[in-house]
Amino acid sequence: MDEKFDCIIVGAGVAGLAAAMTLARNNMKFLLIEKGEFAGSKNVSGGVLWGSDLAKLVPEYWEEKDGGWERFINHRRLTFLDDQSSFSIDFKSSHFNETPYTGVVVLRSKFDRWLADKVENAIAESDYAMDSFIATNIKVDEVLMEDGKAVGIRTGEEEFHANSVIIAEGVNNLLTRQVGLQDDYVPADHVLTGIKEVIRYDQEQLEDRFQLNGLSGMSNEYIGYATDGVEGGGFLYTNRDTISIGLVLGLKDLREKRKSPHDILNHFKDHPAVRDTIRGGEVVEYSAHVVSSGDKRIMPKELYKDGVLICGEAANLLMNAGKAIQGMDYAMRSGILAAETIVDAKEKDDFTSNTLKNYRKALDESYVMKDMNGFQDAVHMLHSPEMFKDVPNLVCDFGRKFFSIKNEPTKKSRKMLAESVKEHSSYWDLIKLGLKGAKSL
Amino acid sequence: MKLLKLTERLGLVSYRNQAKSEIKPHIVVDTDICNSTCPHKCTTYVCPANCYTMDEEGTVHFQVEDCIECGTCMYACDQGAVDWNYPDPEIGRGVTWNFG
Repeated sequence: MDEKFDCIIVGAGVAGLAAAMTLARNNMKFLLIEKGEFAGSKNVSGGVLWGSDLAKLVPEYWEEKDGGWERFINHRRLTFLDDQSSFSIDFKSSHFNETPYTGVVVLRSKFDRWLADKVENAIAESDYAMDSFIATNIKVDEVLMEDGKAVGIRTGEEEFHANSVIIAEGVNNLLTRQVGLQDDYVPADHVLTGIKEVIRYDQEQLEDRFQLNGLSGMSNEYIGYATDGVEGGGFLYTNRDTISIGLVLGLKDLREKRKSPHDILNHFKDHPAVRDTIRGGEVVEYSAHVVSSGDKRIMPKELYKDGVLICGEAANLLMNAGKAIQGMDYAMRSGILAAETIVDAKEKDDFTSNTLKNYRKALDESYVMKDMNGFQDAVHMLHSPEMFKDVPNLVCDFGRKFFSIKNEPTKKSRKMLAESVKEHSSYWDLIKLGLKGAKSL
Repeated sequence: MKLLKLTERLGLVSYRNQAKSEIKPHIVVDTDICNSTCPHKCTTYVCPANCYTMDEEGTVHFQVEDCIECGTCMYACDQGAVDWNYPDPEIGRGVTWNFG
């Protein structure tokens, strides 16, 4: 294959596939390279795909009976845990039953493969039906550079040439480091280790347990006891006949507190409230993956270079600002924007930074960087010890007092709250936290 | 429900090239560093697949076979002992998720 592609995309995750779809629709000649044996085979997420960009890629995806997604979210829950109690903020609304859904749960091995099929269809309908490809089972060893400009990739002895390269390799971004956009060694400060089990149930049992109707689903985040004192939080998402349950744990904090993620996962699952939520069922998969924290300090120095664009989690585009863990939506949008930049570059016949810098501009103007920029304070606050220790303990302690009924004079709830505050924190600390919170959200 | 041990969890993971004897490790660890200058030997507890173990004498050993390519050790090791890469699909042992 001597022919030159308009673009080579590395990685068939959400970002790479979104880029590929956009390129195919714009009649570009491209090669999408994936190291796994099929798209999604190496990918792990929590995971909810938020937002409605999916409908842009696959219009009316919800019409498909056995689509690549599991369930749409119409039930959100945030749970504070101490060692014995759980106190939840719970919101469920049929408002969220409307299409396009604003969040769908996915299992990546299934979802990415399904999305790759849709990309294949788009390729078949494009002008380059015979010249654009998704190639699996290929590990990219190197991005080829010529006079500081990316001109293709090398895999083993083979080289593939292109006017541009989109790096969508995920959080372990070795190629991003190789092209010099990120330091060779990235410290653990702003990454977390995600760890997960997929647990299977009889589908009817699952639907009864979680009050699911048709393909509706629930997302539940947990803070407090879940992480055994380590920075981070827990999650539980309902799939069709399984649940995804897991934790994200600050890696630096794990190292300093000398704890094992798999031990903490059992600690979480053994919490009395969690135990009741997940009882029965059979664990069918155990997985783990590094996750970015959302702290901008870990982002690559720049997201473009002559001939190269970085998108998705390779650019550390992932954030938890307290409302949801977002990442796949950022990946999708950044992949679309990267591909649109390539389409523009081809029109101008200029694949240098001159044109490619517009990717950064488009991303900055999109909700992705606006959120990344706007919620940095929230990210810092969520990773502070008060949030994964004092606050959940306080909330649960207050809950225990508030909901206990004894045959004795009942205290006013303000007094109960004062007692809980005194025991687990202080008014001053809470005021500081409240001010920070008000500012950050 | 019964809580699983790590070995039981790893038993649920599908690996490619499982039976191949000539697989090339995708992660190379200079355990001399772990066993001389490293003050914390953190890989022995942060690795979700327990690829890093410590024997009774406190010596760190690494075996790549159970690796699930999560990347944790690459960030966790701040001593320069871990040379991390993805497995080669042809000659490396790699994970394939059924759910992901």
